Amino acid sequence: MSQPMRLMINGEVRTLEAPEDMPLLWALRDLLGLTGTKFGCGIAQCGACTVHIDGKPVRSCMLPVSAVGNRPVTTIEGIGATPAGAKVQKAWLDLEVVQCGYCQSGQIMSAAALLAATPNPDDADIDAAMAGNICRCGTYVRIRAAIKRAASGSGAKEAT
Amino acid sequence: MSMLRIRDPNVRGAARGTLITVLVILAILLGAVLWLRGPGPMEFAAGQKVALAEYHATDPTGVPAALKDATQIARGEYLARAADCMVCHTSPDGKPYAGGFAFSLPFGTLYSTNITPDKETGIGDYTDAQFLAALRRGVRDDGARLYPAMPFTSYTFLTDADALAIKAYLFSLAPVHAPDRADTLSFPFNQRWLLGVWSWLFNPDQRFQANPAQSPEWNRGAYVSEALAHCGECHTPRNVAFALNNRKKFSGAITAGWRAYNISSDLGTGIGGWREDVFVYLSKGHAMGHGTAAGPMGEAIDESFSHMAPEDVRAVVTYLRSIPAVASSDLPATLAPPADSSHKVGPMTVDSRGKEVFEGACASCHDWSGVSPISTFATLTGSRAVNDPSATNVAQIVISGTRRITPPDILSMPAFGAIYSDAEIAAVANYVTARFGAKGSSIGEHEVANLRKQVAQ
Repeated sequence: MSQPMRLMINGEVRTLEAPEDMPLLWALRDLLGLTGTKFGCGIAQCGACTVHIDGKPVRSCMLPVSAVGNRPVTTIEGIGATPAGAKVQKAWLDLEVVQCGYCQSGQIMSAAALLAATPNPDDADIDAAMAGNICRCGTYVRIRAAIKRAASGSGAKEAT
Repeated sequence: MSMLRIRDPNVRGAARGTLITVLVILAILLGAVLWLRGPGPMEFAAGQKVALAEYHATDPTGVPAALKDATQIARGEYLARAADCMVCHTSPDGKPYAGGFAFSLPFGTLYSTNITPDKETGIGDYTDAQFLAALRRGVRDDGARLYPAMPFTSYTFLTDADALAIKAYLFSLAPVHAPDRADTLSFPFNQRWLLGVWSWLFNPDQRFQANPAQSPEWNRGAYVSEALAHCGECHTPRNVAFALNNRKKFSGAITAGWRAYNISSDLGTGIGGWREDVFVYLSKGHAMGHGTAAGPMGEAIDESFSHMAPEDVRAVVTYLRSIPAVASSDLPATLAPPADSSHKVGPMTVDSRGKEVFEGACASCHDWSGVSPISTFATLTGSRAVNDPSATNVAQIVISGTRRITPPDILSMPAFGAIYSDAEIAAVANYVTARFGAKGSSIGEHEVANLRKQVAQ
């Protein structure tokens, strides 16, 4: 049974009607037209659907929309408005991280959350934050370099 | 008596000696049997029990007040859910109540039977008397004995009216043609007649008796917990004869590869300190700071407790609070607080794959602190499973995942059994108990392999 609900998404209040157990990802993509967030595995194991809730990276494919409550949601469409998100997106473009691109909105969301919490991450921090984001094209080397570049503001070209 | 005619005093002495030996052996056997049989499930409570006919407070049996005037089928549906018949009588891909659910035992596999009203393969031809005999005495319509995987030593406390309401409900279902699967038990466990002896020893075969010294709510709780929900079948340890050892009532046991934890009123290792949270946990399968029900208890919540009237759940809570405290010596009495939010702060475990698996597969939902940013259902902090140095349920949840269906905002965890090796699962279970529990585990791949085998399907 569909329930009317309100979600705070990228700073805006959005209203929608959805069954309580609908995954947040479906509500974002199918009901609100925010298709930048991708469906990958559907079981929180690939990271493609990562969004932020209260600034923390979460997998939206398994989270029931009714469990979000009043907590603010940030998606790939809104992450550029945050300082860490803007730095990450710039580094991603500078180093041309993207191959096919399908996983990249999830990668950027996880990287932005990492930098917001840990401004100067070392390799172990990057592993701990990014290991759950899978990239079938194998862009991991460029992802790591771009995170370091976004953190320092300098290049990390030798790693590419 | 020929013995008296023996004149030789030596022979007479020897004969007397033999007789005494035989008597002593018989006395020891009888004592052992009586000791094994032990107290009944409700004998811990003070007060003289009386037959229901002589009990004048609110009837502890039957259905809640709102259903008193409902049809027999509707009452039976409530009672069948409270007795949780469906979970064991349904195979993973099968139709409800059509049987085929496998119990993997050390001596073979036992399959549950079709209890839909199909005349050929189900119980469609059972008379009332045959149904009562199966439910309460463990005797099939053909006279063969049932294994105690069917909890007839609990259902034996059901009243005729309640048992027959359950029958009426089952007979209102669509018949499903599903032949029973043949058991694969080895000798002598495949000898069903032996269960006649077992039942004679361990099935009280008596209906529920009220205890006027206890409150009406306690009596209702006793009926719901013992006759219907059969809590003890998983939560009470068993003796060498596989019968419930009520001297350690509700102090926890391993069933079907999962650990049913201590639900006695022990403060540290039972649920004596839970207070209102017991009600919340039984209603929703989750209470803040106590983790989330998974495995067989998750099913019991989804299919049984969450459908009960709140006053019945309250009555169960009242009953549980009266259970004498029995401590579990292998469980830490103090639970661990949240872990540090940084992955760098925390214990390292021997096998580095534990942390590697955790950061790739677990951290995104459970967080490095164990307090989930997504949902309280995914919070590990405070759950008994991560505070259990055997890691049985942590490994089991990694293998099987969780498949909860209530309430609507519940989160289920995917199963990882097919993608990780036994060694990887052991490593991540050891990492999880070390990071989030009060005492880390050290299980190995053989234990994980063993757990995989025990899971009922």
